[in-house]
Amino acid sequence: MNTSRETIFKSIHDALSPIKERAARPSVPRGVADAKWLPDEADSIALFKKQATASGTLCFTDLESLAKWLESENTRLLYIPAEFKPLVEYFSSRTNVTTDYKRDLVDEIDVCITPAAAGIAESGTIVITDESTPDRLAALAPWYHIALLDRADIHRTIGDAIASMPEDPNIVWVTGPSKTADVEGILIQGVHGPGAQACLII
Amino acid sequence: MPEQKVDSYARRLDRPVQQAVHDNSAAGTEKRYGSLGKDFADADSLRRLAGAIRQHSIENLDIYLEQAEASLTRNGAHVHYAVTADDACRAVSDILKKAGAKKIVKSKSMISEEIYLNDHLATQGIESVETDLGEYIIQIDGDHPSHIVKPIIHKNRRDIARSFEREGLGDYNDDPQTITSRARSFMRGKYLGADAGITGANFVVADTGRLVLVTNEGNSRFCLAAPKIHIALVGIEKVIPSDSELTVLLNLLGRSATGQQLTVYTEFINGPARKDRPSGPEEMHVIFVDNQRSEILASNCREILRCIRCGACLNVCPIYRQASGHAYRSVYPGPIGAVLSPLLAGKNFKELADLPKASSLCGACNEVCPVDIPIPDLLLRLRNKAHEEHLPSPGTPPMAGFGILASSPSIWKIAMKTGGLSSLVPLEKLPLPYLSPWLKTRTLPGWRGGQFRSWMKSRNQK
Repeated sequence: MNTSRETIFKSIHDALSPIKERAARPSVPRGVADAKWLPDEADSIALFKKQATASGTLCFTDLESLAKWLESENTRLLYIPAEFKPLVEYFSSRTNVTTDYKRDLVDEIDVCITPAAAGIAESGTIVITDESTPDRLAALAPWYHIALLDRADIHRTIGDAIASMPEDPNIVWVTGPSKTADVEGILIQGVHGPGAQACLII
Repeated sequence: MPEQKVDSYARRLDRPVQQAVHDNSAAGTEKRYGSLGKDFADADSLRRLAGAIRQHSIENLDIYLEQAEASLTRNGAHVHYAVTADDACRAVSDILKKAGAKKIVKSKSMISEEIYLNDHLATQGIESVETDLGEYIIQIDGDHPSHIVKPIIHKNRRDIARSFEREGLGDYNDDPQTITSRARSFMRGKYLGADAGITGANFVVADTGRLVLVTNEGNSRFCLAAPKIHIALVGIEKVIPSDSELTVLLNLLGRSATGQQLTVYTEFINGPARKDRPSGPEEMHVIFVDNQRSEILASNCREILRCIRCGACLNVCPIYRQASGHAYRSVYPGPIGAVLSPLLAGKNFKELADLPKASSLCGACNEVCPVDIPIPDLLLRLRNKAHEEHLPSPGTPPMAGFGILASSPSIWKIAMKTGGLSSLVPLEKLPLPYLSPWLKTRTLPGWRGGQFRSWMKSRNQK
């Protein structure tokens, strides 16, 4: 491998050496790519809800309406991490709940509630990390994924979110349900990931 | 007169396919305009900033690639280098063999198309499944993508339904929802049974070592959720200095590609699983692939390495819309492909030297490019390269006659005076071997030449 490395670096060096003055690094001012309609003093929660809804993410602010929605969808088995005791208790009286995400149950568990690490108001994005959702499949494999989002964790802009990236092996920004337009440009939801993406703002 | 190959292909293309490619591309262009206009007061200056960022990145590739290597290593990834396409294929199969991996799942990656990875893995007895819906259909059909972002833009639902029926994914059903849900359940088994996941990368951040992947379907997340080995194939030019540049590039990529503010999933991969974060792949390998890129960096077309593979130039191109992607006979079609493909061909440049001519130089590709690549200029430079290498140029009428005319004032004057005859003669009926194919589909306007000099003289006298 070392020889390949040397060959490539030598070729790059030879390619760049005739350039007398290399292109300077442009400054990237904070906020340069912010959407023009972004309110100055953003009410980030209202903006988050608006943008998330526009991207197809359902937003709930109370447990009751979330539970009613899930009931109306006739879901089978709900996974909630054990540390969310009040949630586990609340849903246990209403539906089948498991607190153990077993990989052989991937197709049985059709609803997962897992915490989000953050949110982005400008784009209505949910941020998921390995820390927030210890088994990656739990936020990915079910048809219904519900992210628990603490309103204090909502960044105002995409730039803000990039400026304060969490330390984690895997950070995923989720903006809406899984989708494709591969077949004749027709939009279909739920290709591999969740067909219904929701969040509960707490 | 021999025809340009792209023209011949376009002529043979089925009308419904051509219509589908045209409509889908045009819709893509509309969505792009809509989302950029809605969100930015001056999208043009943002494009130019992104162009400057990418130009800086490639002109300092020696520094940033080395830095990226150090950051990736620090994050726990193994970094490999591959000079050629064959080297890259071998690097992948060596890693897989060492780990005893027999089954892999793959998310969409243009560079894996470029090196024909699936063909190589098949010869090594390794099962490789494309998991992007479009790419999977391409794979089972033994076809090639015809668009960078929309690989099956040339297929309709009936084609796909027949392919699924043939592959045993169910009875014939051409409902797009059914097609998608069948793919969903088929892929589940593949993900959970795979030994390794292969992805590309949209960006590699030099100072943090992040790999950034943007997708809509969620297949790349699956490739990194179930298998224990992750291999990322990355062109050496994908490196950018830091996270702050990402803000600009991510804000342009989704909008340019599909009119989305952000794609559904933007993934930042910062290393393999750790003891305290055990969910992901235990091994992470990054293979940096040159495959002619350092040659391109040395050429007068290095700006093409800015490309972030959004496909906006394909969507807007009047030639692409008529000819579709396969007309370009290479992995990268459209205006970007007309520049990149002949360059990637290296020693075989002459085989694709006609592609830079498949353009009217209208400039739309440059106007929509999120990194402001001067594609029309690059096309001209490559036409010049072909000319200097004395390569044949089908479809070009010989210009020697015009050369004589235009370099002698007296002959020019006579020609202008007698040019009026062309209005009287039915040119299309004359046996002019080089002009008649043109004149079959074009009419000349009435002759109005030869009056400039007298106009200029009378104007000076006033």
